Amino acid sequence: MSEKKPKIDYNSPKVRAQIDEIVHGTFVKQGTMLAFPTGFPGATISILPDESHITALDVSPQGLVYGGTSGKRSHIIVGMFHGVTGMVFDMKAVEGATHCPAVCCGKNKLLACVNGPSGGGRILTTGLHGLPFDLIQEWGFQRPAFDDLGECAAGEPIVHAVADASRDRVVGATTHHLFSVDFASPKIRVVAEVSGSGRLAVGSKGGILGPDGKGHLWRFDPQTQKLEREAFKLPAGRWDKTPLVWARAGQSGLLYTADAGGQLFSFDEERGFSAALGKTLLAPVYCMAATFDGRVFGSCGSGIAKMFCYDPGRREVTNLGVAVSVFERRRYGYVFGDAVTGRDGEIVFGEDDDGGHLWLYFPRIQAASA
Amino acid sequence: MGKGIGRREFFRSSGASLLTAGAALYPRDGVSAAAEGSPAKPQPSGDYKCKWYEFSEAKESDSCWSLSVGPDGRIYAAACAEGTPGGVVKVVRYNEAKDALDYLFDIDKMVDDPGDSGRASQCKIHYSFVPSMHDGILYMATHLSAAPIDQVAYSAWLSWHDEKRCFRGSALLAFDTKTDQVKWWQTMIPKEGCRCLLHDEERGLLYAISDPRDHLHIFDLKRRTRRDVGRLGSINSQALFLDKKHRVWTTNDYGHLVRYDPEKDRLEVSPFVLPHNPEFQTGWHSVFYDVAPSPDGECVYAATWIANSYMMRIWPNEGDWPRVEDLGPNTQKRDPTVSVDTFVDHCGGLTFAGDGQLYYVASRWRDPVYNPMGPEHKEREGVVWRLNPATLEKEEVTCLVHPRELAQYVSRGAVDHNGDLFFGHVGSRPSGIFKVEMPADRKKENAHLPIRMWG
Repeated sequence: MSEKKPKIDYNSPKVRAQIDEIVHGTFVKQGTMLAFPTGFPGATISILPDESHITALDVSPQGLVYGGTSGKRSHIIVGMFHGVTGMVFDMKAVEGATHCPAVCCGKNKLLACVNGPSGGGRILTTGLHGLPFDLIQEWGFQRPAFDDLGECAAGEPIVHAVADASRDRVVGATTHHLFSVDFASPKIRVVAEVSGSGRLAVGSKGGILGPDGKGHLWRFDPQTQKLEREAFKLPAGRWDKTPLVWARAGQSGLLYTADAGGQLFSFDEERGFSAALGKTLLAPVYCMAATFDGRVFGSCGSGIAKMFCYDPGRREVTNLGVAVSVFERRRYGYVFGDAVTGRDGEIVFGEDDDGGHLWLYFPRIQAASA
Repeated sequence: MGKGIGRREFFRSSGASLLTAGAALYPRDGVSAAAEGSPAKPQPSGDYKCKWYEFSEAKESDSCWSLSVGPDGRIYAAACAEGTPGGVVKVVRYNEAKDALDYLFDIDKMVDDPGDSGRASQCKIHYSFVPSMHDGILYMATHLSAAPIDQVAYSAWLSWHDEKRCFRGSALLAFDTKTDQVKWWQTMIPKEGCRCLLHDEERGLLYAISDPRDHLHIFDLKRRTRRDVGRLGSINSQALFLDKKHRVWTTNDYGHLVRYDPEKDRLEVSPFVLPHNPEFQTGWHSVFYDVAPSPDGECVYAATWIANSYMMRIWPNEGDWPRVEDLGPNTQKRDPTVSVDTFVDHCGGLTFAGDGQLYYVASRWRDPVYNPMGPEHKEREGVVWRLNPATLEKEEVTCLVHPRELAQYVSRGAVDHNGDLFFGHVGSRPSGIFKVEMPADRKKENAHLPIRMWG
């Protein structure tokens, strides 16, 4: 026996606590996660495992969660989790599409971006879904018709797109062009040449922001359709290794982003970038979203991702552990492709994995300050 | 825009304007598109003559949830009006001499709960006609769902504590079929509706499932008192049945049998789940829709209330828990990634006829992939099936023919004392019933006996 091997008393409370911490403390250290399948449990099957990598999410004004999947075939989905609902409706399987980089909710329309193995990224639109009747009792769904607006820019995949603050239009980027689409009269308008390489975001003043080369952000005014190149300089960090991701605090419009090493920064259109706020346990950060009290929750690290929380009040980044769902669906969550803030401030994560689920994260309620 | 078709939408629209099921479905790789359950092959219906009887004096009726044979061997039906705020159910009887319907009474007047009360109204009788053979009484209990007369919708959960809006309660009526008089009535279940009713005549007890709280209740007819036995779940089972030991059987939300054993005075749950589609279902919502007793009283035939309903044969008098035979799906294959409307995909109307065969109606619909029916078929059809209990072979004998609407949804079926089949229809306004005249060689007098003791 090696002398390095300590003698362990497995009956001691301390050792038992250590075991518990290793076994259970590894997972969701605060709050609760629920994994919801991509179907109507008990009434439909889920989307096929290799077509269910959830890579894009948005929330409608009514609080329904829209998403897009990637894999052998893309699907456009809508999740309903309030009222007497509890289902994910597979609205459309998009033939010829294998990647969904973005879905965007307008006031009453949905716009979905899809890429395929050949040709450029396409845009599909349909109406937002209404709430069904009581889904404990009786139901029936009909897949809606979608309009296909065609390719944004010939042969170029779409990188990302967002709805602007007014939800009147969508601004997006292909690998080499910036485009805009009005929900009211959906036609794709290519507005400039830019090199799309990461996600876009809506700034605190309503400007649309995207990565501009290795060290800057461009800003696009959706009202005037004016593009400002190199509008903001990125702070010191590693920005050329991973695509940009964002979280937006809904109240203030403050944005958060992270560099390739997991350093977090905030950004405001008037004040620019903050100094580094902290660093996530793992990198890169794949997705994040902010809840109503300003806390930011995200997923970081490859292979088996860990969740993190940035609390702006305490200015600290916390490791929340590995995602796990123990209610109804018993599942570990390893890879997440997008995150949005749900109707009540819960964070909805899209699982970018075979057999992907929508994961609802309900953060721990913070104690009132004395 | 995606369109969810729910109960409200169904009753707002006529049956014909409902969704075209399957129109936007897509096949999955490796899945056979062959139909099962009810293949689309037109059958001659000459031997089984079908006739529609509209509730022409109940213009607001939109559904016939209850259709039963009375202790007098005649057919009784409920002209329900749940889609109309303040709607009131009328009790109807088939008059064989006139070959027409008689309108017996409006429930609201009989139970002093007028449709314009401002409360949720006495709009329907839902699988809740039960006979009493020794005295010729037909018991009936009312159900809820119609909005108060000045509201657009009614939620029993929302209005539970609202004295002005809340449903007064399920009214139990004792209708004397010899005198055509309501001998007495009383509120059986306060604030709740009665989803389904059963009569244990030997013991003078009625059993009822309440809605929305989904409790099983026992009503003592002699004392006229009710006892709440307990909660079943959240989804009402649509049927109860009785065995030789006076045990009462139903189902819970997750597709388990539930029985009330008077000897134990408790609800028990089976250790197994009833048959269901193994691909996209779990047993959840596989509650009973309709249950018909075998004439010999040894077994029952049951269909479940969920899309792709399953048929089963249950032997309640065997073993600790019954033997359940899976008789397979009642309706066709479909795209399992999208739910078919439960008003489109349906099976009901189970009844034995004088030829000792089980009859029932299962829906069939055009689906471009899984059931591409030809133009000789309607978009959706109510197929009358005949199941041989000895061989379990089934035969399509006819399709229900509605003069204007589609006829895929049948609630209940019954055979009258002349041996003819009757089916209650849901999905047209006014609603009505179908009579399917049995071929002479398959018909017999008093075919309704032994009578079914549950709705």
